[in-house]
Amino acid sequence: MSYLHIGKNFTPPDIYGKVTGRAKYAEDYAVDGMVHARLLTSPMPHARVKNIDASEAMAMEGVVGILTAEDVYPTEAPAPALLTNEPVFVGDPILAVAAVDEKTAENALAKIRLDLEPLPFTVDPVDSLRPNGPSARPEGNVFSEREMKAVSWSADDVERFVTGREPTAPAAMEWSYGDLEAGFDNAEVILEESFVTTGYAHMSMEPRSVLSYWQNGKCHVHGSTQSQSFIVPFLARMLNIEQADLVFVAEYCGGGFGSKIGAYPVLAIPGYFSRKIGRPVMLRITREEEYYVGSARVGFQGWIKAGFTREGRVSAVDLYIVQDLGPNSTGGDASSAGGAVSILYQPDAMRLRDVPVLTNTTPRGAQRGPGQNQIAAVFEPLLDKAAGELGIDPVEIRRLNAPDSNTTINADQGPITSAYMEQALVKGAELFNWSERIRRSGQRNGSKVTGIGVGQGYHSAGAHGFDGLVRLTPDGRIHLHSGVGNLGTYSYAATTRAAAEVLKCNWESCIIHRGSSDAHLPWSSYQAGSNTTFTHTRANYVAASDLLQKMKRIAAGELGGEPEQYDVADERVFDTANAARSLTYAEVAAKAIELGGEFSGETYPEDIHEVTQRAVQAMAGSGLIGVAKDTLPVRGTVPGLTVGFAEIELDLETGKHEIVDFLAVADCGTVVHPLGLAGQLRGGAVWGFGMASLERHVYDPQNGLPANVGYYQTKPPSYLDVPSSMEWAALDIADPDNPVGARGVGEPAMGSATAAVMCALSNALGGHLFNRTPVTPDVVLNHLSGQGQSAAPLAINTF
Amino acid sequence: MAAHDVMPDIELFQPVTVEDASAIARRLEGRGWVLAGGQDTYGWLKDRAKTATAMIDLGTIEALSGIEETADGVRIGAMTTLRTVSRDPLIRERYALLAEAAGKVASPQIRNQGTLGGNVAQDTRCWYYRRGLSCYRAGGNICYADSPEGMNREHAILGASRCVAVSPSDTGTALVALDAVMVIQNGGSVRRVPAAKFFVGPAVNITHMTVLREGDILTAIELPAAWAGAEHYFEKVADRDVWDFALVSIAAAFRTSGNAIEDARLVCGAVSCVPHRLNAVERAVIGRPRSEETAESVAGLASQGAKPLNFNHFKAPLMENLVKRALRS
Amino acid sequence: MELVEVRQDVWGREVLLGVSWDLLWVVLSLTAAAIIIHLLVMAFLSKSDRPSPDGPHLTRHAGVDRGFHWIMAISVFVLLFTGVLPIVGVDFDWLTIHWVAGLILTGAVVFHTVRALIWQKPKEMWVGARDFQEPFDQAIKPGKYSLLQKGMHHAMTVLVLLVIGTGLALFWVMDTPWWERSNALDEATLGWMFLLHGASTLGLIVLTALHVYFALRPEKRFYTRSMISGWISEDEHRANHDPGRWSPDQSS
Repeated sequence: MSYLHIGKNFTPPDIYGKVTGRAKYAEDYAVDGMVHARLLTSPMPHARVKNIDASEAMAMEGVVGILTAEDVYPTEAPAPALLTNEPVFVGDPILAVAAVDEKTAENALAKIRLDLEPLPFTVDPVDSLRPNGPSARPEGNVFSEREMKAVSWSADDVERFVTGREPTAPAAMEWSYGDLEAGFDNAEVILEESFVTTGYAHMSMEPRSVLSYWQNGKCHVHGSTQSQSFIVPFLARMLNIEQADLVFVAEYCGGGFGSKIGAYPVLAIPGYFSRKIGRPVMLRITREEEYYVGSARVGFQGWIKAGFTREGRVSAVDLYIVQDLGPNSTGGDASSAGGAVSILYQPDAMRLRDVPVLTNTTPRGAQRGPGQNQIAAVFEPLLDKAAGELGIDPVEIRRLNAPDSNTTINADQGPITSAYMEQALVKGAELFNWSERIRRSGQRNGSKVTGIGVGQGYHSAGAHGFDGLVRLTPDGRIHLHSGVGNLGTYSYAATTRAAAEVLKCNWESCIIHRGSSDAHLPWSSYQAGSNTTFTHTRANYVAASDLLQKMKRIAAGELGGEPEQYDVADERVFDTANAARSLTYAEVAAKAIELGGEFSGETYPEDIHEVTQRAVQAMAGSGLIGVAKDTLPVRGTVPGLTVGFAEIELDLETGKHEIVDFLAVADCGTVVHPLGLAGQLRGGAVWGFGMASLERHVYDPQNGLPANVGYYQTKPPSYLDVPSSMEWAALDIADPDNPVGARGVGEPAMGSATAAVMCALSNALGGHLFNRTPVTPDVVLNHLSGQGQSAAPLAINTF
Repeated sequence: MAAHDVMPDIELFQPVTVEDASAIARRLEGRGWVLAGGQDTYGWLKDRAKTATAMIDLGTIEALSGIEETADGVRIGAMTTLRTVSRDPLIRERYALLAEAAGKVASPQIRNQGTLGGNVAQDTRCWYYRRGLSCYRAGGNICYADSPEGMNREHAILGASRCVAVSPSDTGTALVALDAVMVIQNGGSVRRVPAAKFFVGPAVNITHMTVLREGDILTAIELPAAWAGAEHYFEKVADRDVWDFALVSIAAAFRTSGNAIEDARLVCGAVSCVPHRLNAVERAVIGRPRSEETAESVAGLASQGAKPLNFNHFKAPLMENLVKRALRS
Repeated sequence: MELVEVRQDVWGREVLLGVSWDLLWVVLSLTAAAIIIHLLVMAFLSKSDRPSPDGPHLTRHAGVDRGFHWIMAISVFVLLFTGVLPIVGVDFDWLTIHWVAGLILTGAVVFHTVRALIWQKPKEMWVGARDFQEPFDQAIKPGKYSLLQKGMHHAMTVLVLLVIGTGLALFWVMDTPWWERSNALDEATLGWMFLLHGASTLGLIVLTALHVYFALRPEKRFYTRSMISGWISEDEHRANHDPGRWSPDQSS
């Protein structure tokens, strides 16, 4: 299908600000009378605040106020607290102090005396599960089915688990399908491995600084979030105000990666503080603090058993995961991992068992491909091992198990919208020259050895049921109201192109409205889960379709005939029988204002969200309004699928590897924005390289201190750690459940890169499985020198 | 706990002579902080893990920058930036070892600002110490890194005494290998300290990594002609290829006659609190060629006496491997 | 000036670090002052009639006890110098020498204690009511040891045991050829150990200085000789001791 806008590159309007430096992030705002707040956080991994003596600090010149847990929205364990008297990790905010400038605020923090009573703590889930092991919270150590529980394993259960034997301890959650026993009976090869994947920080480049002030009863919040409209109801609730009384501005977001999806606790602190002291409050979060409150990926300690038939089909998978949840409630990673296995490898039978355990480490949250990407790092090398034992090529075994449009997913084995993984594998193998390269695997060049790897990634990449809002004004401009956050993917703009497509208008005639709840934005999805492209091309499509219908009705009313005989082109509505009978878009907009009612937004559909309703109400009478909730059919899970191909050179003397070449192939439906997609595939790959071999999350188990509170300690990949150029391709096969054929893809782009590098490392070492991320040089050297690994088996939050 | 990052109020002195800088430092006693490129300093001060009431900026002393040929080699001003050292034609030609080491420090931005003097005088990167904990090195009476469950992947396997921190300097290893001389001025008096004695281990002084004391200004580094144009090898193994500290590094210089090594220096970085000279290896290679065979037969001597901690066993084989690489011609 | 030093522990709580080494200078000054005053007073009193060292030799210290004394003396000196010099800014590799000397001292003290309790006459060191009359009555003479000597011995005993006890505790949590360091002492306990170790060190400095001073004093020098060669003369015995309370054998 040929499109006017879809599949074409364009310049997102926010890019000028970013390139010139004029873009204003939350921290760049300053308002009259603004004071600066800073946090005082817990030095202990778990403690009870017995007393706070702030008298000396409050007596300091320039100190304006203090905010403590008593002043803010209370939360119930294990939900994260805004401020707390029972901190559960080092860096948990206890109070905030405001002063006329930041230096004074920092100086004041030093004058506050906290009397803390240390409480038991743990930085490793397995330690917490041991008999009489410490619990991260007094309420228990496991959070499942929305409840805190105290779970303790027998010494034997723990021993079995850490020594890699099938876990016997009961799981907190379990699902399965198919006949597992039969699946293993049918297997020619059965592999059993234990694994550990570290949960490392999101490391948003822009720390989550927030500015808040109150004007005429409304709370204004400048924050850094991935989402826009989605934040409003939750932040309003946290601030204990009506949604209409919240003005939420988030025009730019310097990276969230899953840590700024929704209304996170810090976002509400300055609102409370500002209300308490009657002055605008800027709460700046430091780089170090971002490591505390900025959250991290969920860590996995697990065991997997997989059966493969003689032909190479995955016949059965038994997966057991202990999740490191940090101290708060989260933890969908394990079931997402299970879902990924169920779709990517199509096992005939599968069981997932999961024990989500709390630890006194960084709070966890969704991080790009939460669950799917951890398991990709584990399962894909396992698949290679099976392929090796069965004498099947690694790409071939993936093709044999590749999901197609009839594939089913998850425990309920539900349908999906479409999938073309086999085509992606074939295309990638061809572009990467796989059959040629795989022959180089294991080739020595001095101390270096070549490793070739292919990896797959999956994430459910689409939601539905959100609203679209498009407006035509008498100046002929098309206003695309985007409630999508500006998280860096440009999807806030790319998805509006679906509306421009429906209206067949010039892109130059369009104005995107975004970035503030004052900008009359519709109710939109969370910018996470790779869903935005699918979800909001739909929402924009239905809103534009509504606008189109209304244009035709107005034209028919004005010019005669039936609406159905009208069409649009060149920003005119015309009679298909007599093209001379036409109205310009500007004329239609003026007529809509005259007509009022549903045309100008005086009335609107009942099923739209109250956020959208308020937007429409505010704009009523200003033009022709197209607004609708997306009720288009969707037949199942929307899969985002990618394949990554990597060639590495592993230096056996240093333990380091260089990624010589990388290729990503996306199966993400129709390509909406090629440059945006390239950015996602390459950026995802860089992140994936980091997960495979660099990024770390280390806690001292003796005192609960994190060893990584700076970039140089956490080690995200640098520009010299990634290939200077990375190729990409997309299948560009339309998904039937999206009006423009699009599906999302951001998250799997990372998982497939992690997996490709993990497989290449294993390939370079003759099939050795590390079964852990990250595989750092020391891990490789310890393996090669035969001296055993430094870390205890399955230890997490360690080197 | 406060996560500081705002520069505290601090006085700034910008002397134009070394004598003045030294006098100010002595007058301020412990309260003054001698500032070179600031790449180590600002972190300490902004984090408030260390405090000072005044900074004495050496950047205003012109005499401290620049590279010049002397009767017996080359003299590099301590305030010469790492970028300059790594690109200077004279250094590249005669002391390529140092040029390479300087070029591997941190990142281009840091090398533009950081100085050679600052690179050798910088403090360790032990993460416990950098957190501002009151450990031995900070004047306390405990080491958090060397304890039964300490997280010590980057720490010392050699020469530790209570404190197990390592010297983070990439250029320090090269300077020790080149028998460089550190010129230190205090007031009007000047002393010359061999690079190998410039660095101080915790057994001798647990709170200082170098011999620099109150009023001492490292003014220049002299590279003797003896090692000019020698064969060299430098390699730094770090997790990342830019903006990282070494896991282990090696600086080696060889003088050969015909095929045989006449004299050798092999120095490892990041394995000890000081650049660690591999004396046994140096002795063993005399009279032998730089070859795979020599490499294989002596590499084992490199990690002799190593006492790995919980998480740094890998440093021993890595040292040995780097020695092998240095010895292959 | 503080008496003790405090720091923050790993979680930012105030914790004892040890004795304040400012006290070193106080202690050294006071000791020096005391010695100078004593020197002046003794010069003013100036008694010159000293007992003669001639005549038969009476055994005061057996060879084995003299050996013990000098081993202890040397190890205490080594301990003091290796312990204190780095604090005052003299840099050298001191720790191994320090703990080796500490172990030697410990061994010597154990040996001495066992020997004194089983094979010697611990009563000779006993301080009785009568001892306190010595300073006030020229006629009352001590047995083998004067009150001053007994006092010195007992003060030394307390300080040495304290410094050994705390030293061993600190030795236990450091890396040695026999074991790796442990976390057996928490930071607060460690602080107490360092405080007691440091405080007893300061005490030892005072006592050692006084002990050396008296050992060098002309009227006491024969005791020093007896610690080297084992004997005192009959005249010295008569002049300084009550033969009824201590009658040493003639030495061979």
